[in-house]
Amino acid sequence: MLKVKNLTKEFESGESKIKAVKNVSLAIPAGTFAAVIGKSGSGKSTLLSLLGALDKPTGGEINVDDRDIAKLSDRKLIDYRRHKIGFIFQNYNLVPNLSALENVMLPMEFAGVKAAERKKRAGWLLGQVGITGAKQIRWPGKLSGGEQQRVAIARALANKPKLILADEPTGNLDSATGKIIIDLLRHLAKSENTTIVAVTHDTGIARQAKLTFHLKDGRLVK
Amino acid sequence: MGVLARGAKNAFRNSIRTVSIIVILAVSIAMALVMLMALKTVEAKIETVKGSVGNYISVSPAGIRGFEGGGELLSNSDVDSLNQIAHVKKVVKSTMEHLTNGNNTSLQSATEAGSFGNRQRAQEMGNETGGAPRSFSMPVMVTGTNDLSVTSNLNVSKFDLTSGQKFDGNSADLIALVGTDLASKNNLSVDSTFQAYGKDVKVIGIFDGGNQFANATAVMPLKALQNLSGQTDQIYQITVEADSIDAVANVTQNIKEKLGDKADVTNQQDNSQNAVKPLENIKAISSYSLIGALLAGAVIIFLTMVMIVRERRREIGVLKAIGASNSVIMAQFTVEALVFTLTSSIVGIALGLALSNPVLNVLVNNSSSTGQNPGSGGRQMMMRFGEGAQSTLRDLHAVVGWEIILYGLLAAILIAIIGSAVPAYLIAKVRPAEVLRSE
Repeated sequence: MLKVKNLTKEFESGESKIKAVKNVSLAIPAGTFAAVIGKSGSGKSTLLSLLGALDKPTGGEINVDDRDIAKLSDRKLIDYRRHKIGFIFQNYNLVPNLSALENVMLPMEFAGVKAAERKKRAGWLLGQVGITGAKQIRWPGKLSGGEQQRVAIARALANKPKLILADEPTGNLDSATGKIIIDLLRHLAKSENTTIVAVTHDTGIARQAKLTFHLKDGRLVK
Repeated sequence: MGVLARGAKNAFRNSIRTVSIIVILAVSIAMALVMLMALKTVEAKIETVKGSVGNYISVSPAGIRGFEGGGELLSNSDVDSLNQIAHVKKVVKSTMEHLTNGNNTSLQSATEAGSFGNRQRAQEMGNETGGAPRSFSMPVMVTGTNDLSVTSNLNVSKFDLTSGQKFDGNSADLIALVGTDLASKNNLSVDSTFQAYGKDVKVIGIFDGGNQFANATAVMPLKALQNLSGQTDQIYQITVEADSIDAVANVTQNIKEKLGDKADVTNQQDNSQNAVKPLENIKAISSYSLIGALLAGAVIIFLTMVMIVRERRREIGVLKAIGASNSVIMAQFTVEALVFTLTSSIVGIALGLALSNPVLNVLVNNSSSTGQNPGSGGRQMMMRFGEGAQSTLRDLHAVVGWEIILYGLLAAILIAIIGSAVPAYLIAKVRPAEVLRSE
């Protein structure tokens, strides 16, 4: 269960302060595929970075499994990112000189999983998202955009996270591939009992989500 | 794939850039290594020169000109007066005699007179008799000493006994050590004898004096030679040993005051300073160049790593987002820097070993012009240090050992760590949230 209460994030810009997220409160049950939609500059990515412990909020609470991550130390935030969170980025952000398999193994290495086990799980995860055979040992540059995003999804699932945060996961994909990716995410949310929060400006994706949150000028409007 | 493998792999991510960095860094490391070798070589040489100089002061009869004579010889009372000077540790006395075959010895000289000797002799003979010039036999030089441990009086560049034994300096026995060439020329061996002044002198040892001149001479106990040649109480050369390097100047001054115009007094410090001066110049140049080369290496790797970190800022953010700690990412980049420097070190060490002697020669040639000829003193001092100062530079060869290579590798690791320090700080400052904002 993800619960957010009065979440606020301010940035300093010169002498003035900009509120990117203003008193956002929301709740997403476990295993739900939720979408946060809004225009560019509405605060979607900031909200995502706060949920993913990439940034610290100025105020409010973020409870994941009844634990307020806004109050965690830097060390514990790293642990939180390792074990509880998976990220999917618009530009895939795979490490270019590592193979698909090595990319998926990376979060497990940081989490201290043994080499043999992480290789086995990475292979299995890539199989689950449709990357099989020789494609598993290809560098990201040798894979299509859709394949790279599949690898990114497998990487996000590597440490069996409770929450997957996807930032415009289909933003760089054609509509057919984008649909496949969203279907895959919805399937994983159900099968792995993982909460998925996808930030998008694509209303088509939002319609497929079980929960949709509309963000405008840093506030939830719906 | 762990941090080590990932760091090493990243080092070769951009092959053209990697090769460029390695070449530039290798030149820097090679230069550092060459300078380190030059520094070590010169330091060792300076120690050798200083060690060879010791605490000795040379006292010669004033105006004496070797075989040509001049001045009045010193006496035992002069020696006694020197023994009373503070900080004098030892006073070594020596005298010299020329033995000529057919005149006062059975020994035949091991050296030929040569055209110069014959010309000199012809002029003397012509002046005496008005007769025609004729060839003659060179005299055999015999040195008498009361202490064989001080070889500066023996006209040798080294004193290695090849057979037999040394004598007691206080002995009055008619015994001698002969140079290898002299022994060979006269078929002398240990226990054989030769004649001098009508008496048998027993050979108790044969020595290698390091050069043809020295190997054509003989050495006898001082008293024995004085008695044999009728030069009792006459001393040709005195060497005074001070009890410390610091006391040499004062003891020299005291000797000058004691003996006044009777003697030329020179200590070896002035001469050694002349010999060491060009070495000190090389040492200074190589020290500054070493620091410069190390700094250049550190700057190269520093700029490279800053460039790489800036270029991979997004990747660093992603790694942090998926659970990497700052230390893991820093370690990965430090390994990358180490791979750059260690690969460069291998190339640099090979380059450095190849360039060490040519560069040292350039340094020597540029520095030797600042060296000065030693000041004049006793004849022996001139001979020893006139050559010594020149040969000090001539004999320089780069010292190459595992120690130097180890230093080179340590320097490379140090360069990598220093060069990675600031990039590590930049890594720590990258916030993973930036990855999302730059989408």
